[in-house]
Amino acid sequence: MSAESVLEVAGVSSGYGEATVVRDVSLSVKAGEIVALLGKNGMGKSTLLKTIMGYLPVQKGAVAILQNDVTREPPHRIAGRGVAYSPQAEAIFHDLTVRENLVLGMPDPRGFDAEFARICGIFPFMKDRLAQRAGTLSGGEQKMLILARALMARPKLILIDEITEGLQPSVIDRLGKALLDERENTGVSIFLVEQHIQFALRVADRWAVLKLGEIDDAGDCAASGAAVRIADHLAV
Amino acid sequence: MSGEAMTESKAAAGGAKPRAELGRVLRWGALAVALLIVAPFVLDTYTVNILIRALFLAALALTVDILWGYTGVLTFGQSAFFGIGAYACGLVFTHYGFGPGWAVLALAAGILAAMAVGLLVGWLAFYHGASPLYASIVTLALPIVLTQVVFAGGRFTGSSSGLSGFPTYYWDLEVWFWIAGAFLILVTCLAVLFVRSDMGRVLVAIRENEMRCAYLGIPVSRIKILLMVVMGGIGAVSGFGYAAFTNVVAPELTGFLLGTELLIWVALGGRGTIIGPVIGTIAIDVTSSYLSGSLPFVWKLLIGIAFVLVIVALPQGLLPELGKGLRRLLRRQPAAKPAPELRPARSRVVAAGAAAPLVVEGVARHFGSLRVLQDISFKVGRGELLSLVGPNGAGKTTLIRCLADGMERSGGRVVIFGKDLGRWPPDRCVALGIGRKFQAASIYETLTVAECLRLARYRLEPFSLWQASPILELPEAALRIVSETGLAERLDIEVRHLSHGQKQALDLAMVLALEPTIVLLDEPTAGLTKTERERIGGILTSLVERERLSVLLVEHDLDFVRQISSRVIVMHQGRIVLDGSVAEVVDSELVREIYAGSGHEPAPAGGTA
Amino acid sequence: MSVLILDIVTTAAILFTVATGLMIILGVMKLINFAHGAFLTIGGYAAYIATVAGWSPWAAIPFAAVVGLVLGLVVEYVIVRPLYARPLDAILATWGLGIIIGQLITIGFGREVQFVEPPISGAVEFLGLSYSTYRLLLVLVAVVIGAGLTGLLYFTRFGLNARAVIMNEDLARGLGIDSTKVRLATFGLGAALASVAGALITPLVSVDPNLGLPWLVNSFMLVLASGVSIPGLMIVSLLLGGAQVVVSTYVSPIIGGLTIVVLAALILRLRPQGIG
Repeated sequence: MSAESVLEVAGVSSGYGEATVVRDVSLSVKAGEIVALLGKNGMGKSTLLKTIMGYLPVQKGAVAILQNDVTREPPHRIAGRGVAYSPQAEAIFHDLTVRENLVLGMPDPRGFDAEFARICGIFPFMKDRLAQRAGTLSGGEQKMLILARALMARPKLILIDEITEGLQPSVIDRLGKALLDERENTGVSIFLVEQHIQFALRVADRWAVLKLGEIDDAGDCAASGAAVRIADHLAV
Repeated sequence: MSGEAMTESKAAAGGAKPRAELGRVLRWGALAVALLIVAPFVLDTYTVNILIRALFLAALALTVDILWGYTGVLTFGQSAFFGIGAYACGLVFTHYGFGPGWAVLALAAGILAAMAVGLLVGWLAFYHGASPLYASIVTLALPIVLTQVVFAGGRFTGSSSGLSGFPTYYWDLEVWFWIAGAFLILVTCLAVLFVRSDMGRVLVAIRENEMRCAYLGIPVSRIKILLMVVMGGIGAVSGFGYAAFTNVVAPELTGFLLGTELLIWVALGGRGTIIGPVIGTIAIDVTSSYLSGSLPFVWKLLIGIAFVLVIVALPQGLLPELGKGLRRLLRRQPAAKPAPELRPARSRVVAAGAAAPLVVEGVARHFGSLRVLQDISFKVGRGELLSLVGPNGAGKTTLIRCLADGMERSGGRVVIFGKDLGRWPPDRCVALGIGRKFQAASIYETLTVAECLRLARYRLEPFSLWQASPILELPEAALRIVSETGLAERLDIEVRHLSHGQKQALDLAMVLALEPTIVLLDEPTAGLTKTERERIGGILTSLVERERLSVLLVEHDLDFVRQISSRVIVMHQGRIVLDGSVAEVVDSELVREIYAGSGHEPAPAGGTA
Repeated sequence: MSVLILDIVTTAAILFTVATGLMIILGVMKLINFAHGAFLTIGGYAAYIATVAGWSPWAAIPFAAVVGLVLGLVVEYVIVRPLYARPLDAILATWGLGIIIGQLITIGFGREVQFVEPPISGAVEFLGLSYSTYRLLLVLVAVVIGAGLTGLLYFTRFGLNARAVIMNEDLARGLGIDSTKVRLATFGLGAALASVAGALITPLVSVDPNLGLPWLVNSFMLVLASGVSIPGLMIVSLLLGGAQVVVSTYVSPIIGGLTIVVLAALILRLRPQGIG
């Protein structure tokens, strides 16, 4: 385990009940690094994130966050270690206001105003929307809310599950920029699961492809030909 | 649900096992009868007196076990039926007349009234889509309402003091003991045969996974209602006997408290065992009567504690736990369930008419303003293997639901071999030829492989009420799966001991045992190894080529789709975007875009979302 | 006529007060606490102890709250928590608990009806009629409880956490909320509310070991019909409680006792999610 690793997944297998969806996956994310995990639907990407976050039991292997073994910890404990998780579906409370959704991202709500001012710098549209019910925001605004909530507590590790799904290119650009800026400013580590190859290559430092539950290939985003290699794996 | 008609040869070959079961029950029954005859001469009068009441109550507890222990219906209301029978006795003997004719009339009236109430309660509680909680609420309201009705009856019903001292049969205690005991033994023997029969397994299946039963063509609501009616009738007979013996009827007999006591006796005795609740009721009721003089409250406290303990920590009940312990001590294995013999079913000729197997016209599904499916139209012919692909949220599983459940869609038509699906619930859709396999293998953990396969035959074969058929007939496709995956050697193994791959195979075999003409599969390869994937691919291909079924599958494994499909439909955001051959879809630019997720809406001028 | 209206309003207030404890437990924990009646009884006996100990009758209320809270926390941990995945069994286990509490009270205090000193007695004269002061006071209490719970739910972090758990427990946990603690606190609060309600209704009922039983089923039907929301509960308390009063007055008290149960069952048949 490297001294700088923020997330270390070692030989993890997991799934639903007895089914094994993720098989023997190992990967790591170092401090200040952005790593993208790509793969087609049903290959186990969401399952892996849920396992890391403690929603699914680990059948084999171990997960460590900030050098602490969290293999058997429940989700709220892992969140308490400075991990912000953005699930793919049902990621906001539709019936709560924007403000309430953001507050829930902060264990200690005392710094709310200062953090909110910071967030408005990244997503200006939020300034006047605090009292609006989150379910009435547009799709793109909801995703920005999810990211804003994740950033409110200045996490050490952000886990993101397919945030670009169904969004317009302009919004996708904003999200990508926000992630890169945040990493610049705070040194946060980000592990993102994606199917959008361009977005992943633009934002991440390293990539890996998950196929039928196993890591099939990996590399640096900066290396030439990365896009083609990944596209090959994800081809229809 | 008639008794199985057997030809002579079948009777010879397969008759051994059910006859063995019947023999066992008869032997135990005979032993019980022997004990019954002797008991009054060995026990003192007080005990016999208490026992008679306990015996009637035990028969009532048995009905609770069948409803709750076996079928999973938490009922507080069996006391109401007991009370109806009791008041039929009291009211008729008090106000109308007494004599053999009157007794028969009163008993009949009680049974009929109970059955009518059971029908009403069943209709209210077991409608399609009712939650189990609502059913329990209705059974809870029933005794409360009945008690108040009795109170409101004034002098006619005796109100809160009840009726007593009415003319009845003042036979010797022994005679009453034999009557109560014979009734209990008869009901118990019939119940044991019933729960071990094929129909009894249906009850357990309903308890474990009601929705899956609907998709196997089992009319769950009707079965529950019928069960409630019959159990109500039996409860009324118990009540009648109780009232005739004790010579008192009071509102307590119809009440909520008795209803909860029954649940306590069943839980402590061991729910889902028949014998457990019978013994439990007798033991607790008799002990309570003895202790009611000396330590009434401490005893009730102990029962309360034991009850909570059992529910929390020993849900099976005290007697089964004791039984397990004893067996471990004696190093005996629990009796293995016998495996039936596999036979190929007579092939049913599917009308090769002109009508297409499946026609979908303009199907839509919305939840409020959220449109999950819009304007879905396509046709499926015989011998086609159609794959449904698309990103998450495209609506694929919702579409499958709309094809298998007539109540699911918001608009449009689904026509199967010329018959409109209309608003039929899943079990009727099965009758039209739909077989749906769920993504997660949703099978019944405590049933054996053979029992699960038999469930799928509910619509096609008569189901015995008193025995487990020794023959299991399956169509060729199902037989093939069962033999290729080794399930044929595991017919008597409980499902929970199977591996994930075997469970998926069993699930598929069950769907094929329905003899569907259209098979709907949701991610059949999820979680399977490469070999298992290949096997499923082979099975699906042969279904389509040999049996000329129509197969529709939702899949994410696009290699798998490419290998076996004859046609692919691509969905995106609730609509069909492409419907064509594998080659057409693979080469399509549009599909590549959808999967690469670069979005398909042009950005509005001005930028912000 | 005005007496009828006052009867309806005060009855609704009493039903509301008694049912709130059950409702917050159902809302957050998706669990029906069949020991609710027993907690009402505990509250009644807490008031009795206050009378015997010579305290001011008003002291009974915080005393009942504390007793209810402590007991509730213990019960959640020991009995309710293991049954998280088995809601029907949880109904039975809490019913069993109710039996245990009932028997302990009987062993400790005997079966007789006990006398409890009411905080206020007498009647208030207004608009040409005379009406029980205490009943009118209970309307105020109901409003205070409703307002207090609403405040807790909407203006505190605990309330926000609880609402998050109600709406989406998995998401809440992923955001760092320990849903187990939320459930524990909620059960304790629900038990405390039931106990307080029990203490409050002592002047209107006979204080014996079966005090809570008749209120259990009515509370439970009201809560389900309310759609598990505070305004919903106020509405059904008024509607169904009102129906009960009307039927009891004009038809018969016995049939009146059935109104809530029957009407609630019908409402749920037509609208399974309740009114709220």
